[in-house]
Amino acid sequence: MIHSMRRAIIKKDLRALITNKRQLIPLLAVPIVVAVVVPSVFILLAHFSPQEMMEMEKLAAFLPPGEQTDGTQQVMLWLLINNIMPAFFLLIPVMVASVSAASSFVGEKEKHTLETLLYCPLPLRGVFQSKILASFTLSMLVSLCSFAAMLLVAEAELLLTLGSPVFPGINWLVTLLFVAPAISLFVITLIVRGSAKAQTADESQQRTIFLILPVMAFIITQFSGMVFASAWLLLGVGAAFALLAGICMRGVPQKISYETLLKR
Amino acid sequence: MQAVVAENLTKIFPQGKKAVDAVSFALGQGEIFGFLGPNGAGKTTAVKLLNGMLTPTAGCCRVFGTDPAADPCGVHKLSGVVTEHAQMYEHMTGMENLLFFGAVFGVNARECRARADRLFAALELMCAKDQKLSTYSTGMRQRLSLARAMIHRPKILFLDEPTSGLDPENAQNVNDMIKRLAHEEGTTIFLCTHQLRYAQELCTAYGLIDEGALLAAGTLAELRTLVFSGLTVRLTASLPPDDIPYTALNGHEFSLTLQTEDDIPPLVKKIVERGGKIYGVSARQLTLEEIYFALLEKRGVKEAAS
Repeated sequence: MIHSMRRAIIKKDLRALITNKRQLIPLLAVPIVVAVVVPSVFILLAHFSPQEMMEMEKLAAFLPPGEQTDGTQQVMLWLLINNIMPAFFLLIPVMVASVSAASSFVGEKEKHTLETLLYCPLPLRGVFQSKILASFTLSMLVSLCSFAAMLLVAEAELLLTLGSPVFPGINWLVTLLFVAPAISLFVITLIVRGSAKAQTADESQQRTIFLILPVMAFIITQFSGMVFASAWLLLGVGAAFALLAGICMRGVPQKISYETLLKR
Repeated sequence: MQAVVAENLTKIFPQGKKAVDAVSFALGQGEIFGFLGPNGAGKTTAVKLLNGMLTPTAGCCRVFGTDPAADPCGVHKLSGVVTEHAQMYEHMTGMENLLFFGAVFGVNARECRARADRLFAALELMCAKDQKLSTYSTGMRQRLSLARAMIHRPKILFLDEPTSGLDPENAQNVNDMIKRLAHEEGTTIFLCTHQLRYAQELCTAYGLIDEGALLAAGTLAELRTLVFSGLTVRLTASLPPDDIPYTALNGHEFSLTLQTEDDIPPLVKKIVERGGKIYGVSARQLTLEEIYFALLEKRGVKEAAS
């Protein structure tokens, strides 16, 4: 019975997020820009850039042994697809998780529906777990769909411009299966932690805006070539976010109670 | 088993405000208990304490033997709550809202739909059941909240101002439904309101509260004994009574107090024997409103004396 209660909350939260135009626009716009527009621009730029301007020999050394090539464009696009795009891609789970968690937790408080929900015979922990799962599911669904869309569009463009595809490497596997889930969880737990104090969903979302900064810094390091994203580095980033999410979650039961949530 | 027991129930908020002050009362199953007092008296805080939404600062309470502070979910299984701040989802239709809340209360979907249909019919919302909540008027929302609170057949209903925003016809419907629930299904009703006349029509027992403190609790007859259990008689006659103190109202109208209705015939007889004419006699007991204000006054005097 507990499972069906939780399932009902998850379904309701997902539906609320998808049917609300105010939330749907950022939920669609950011992934489209990050997963479709940005890689397309990069691919076209790489295609139309004069090849004499580039000194790709040094960069080619960063490619895995199987992918070593003399083609300047290919080196550039391989690095673009496997190093720069994963960094950009992290903006998607950060944004989706923050919009969905803020709406799911603080949005309900703002609209006075949380109190009604808290009168149900599901423990507070169960209500929160269902809501965390709903936000996490949406974040991962949007991330995976965005990756599929990016793959489809980028590979089609690569075939048209380069004549051959550039397949995503292990960095994407780590990004999709470890870094994106870890960063989504961290954002959600941050919002859950602040949900007792925050009065509006916007206020709650603003608390996670600062998370954009490390992602932006990561993107800059990829562009500048200061540090190239390897699978190990991404695993480290994912582990750091997973650890932070764990630390954030530890204090939640003490901070969150019916009383703190309903305080006006 | 008592439906609700509160023993010295106290809630002091962190800012120091004593919202509920050592309140004690008990109510039996199937009773319609009116918890009455002005806005800010502590009624909603008491509902939240009885549902485990707030933890008491002192004292304790039990709902059908379950301590809400220790096992809030245990109480939530048994209770339905309607308060001003417990609202529903605007993007969902009336039916979708009821099906959702039915699901989170563990009611199976088929049973929930059938129950929801019956509630929509009883609360005259059938034509709006497939409309989004955002199109509902205040009165319709209030009725839908009642339906939501009843979807899982609770043993006890906590209703905070259930008829606010309702027109007289719908308010009457809601009152009839409350009476039916209590009498036919044995549902206990904990009704919070500041409308004392409305409560007197509906409730079987009362708790009168002001500034967090319980002034008195009991049936109307029990409350009357705390103030004045006699009758106020309004007499229209050509002569005033000669052996009972009275107040002349205007012309041939007099007001006086008697202990019981049995004192009326001798009073009339005496006036007639003296050659007087009786044009009318009406008798009434203290209303809940009069009792409330008398108790408030009593408390004020007591506090001034101490």
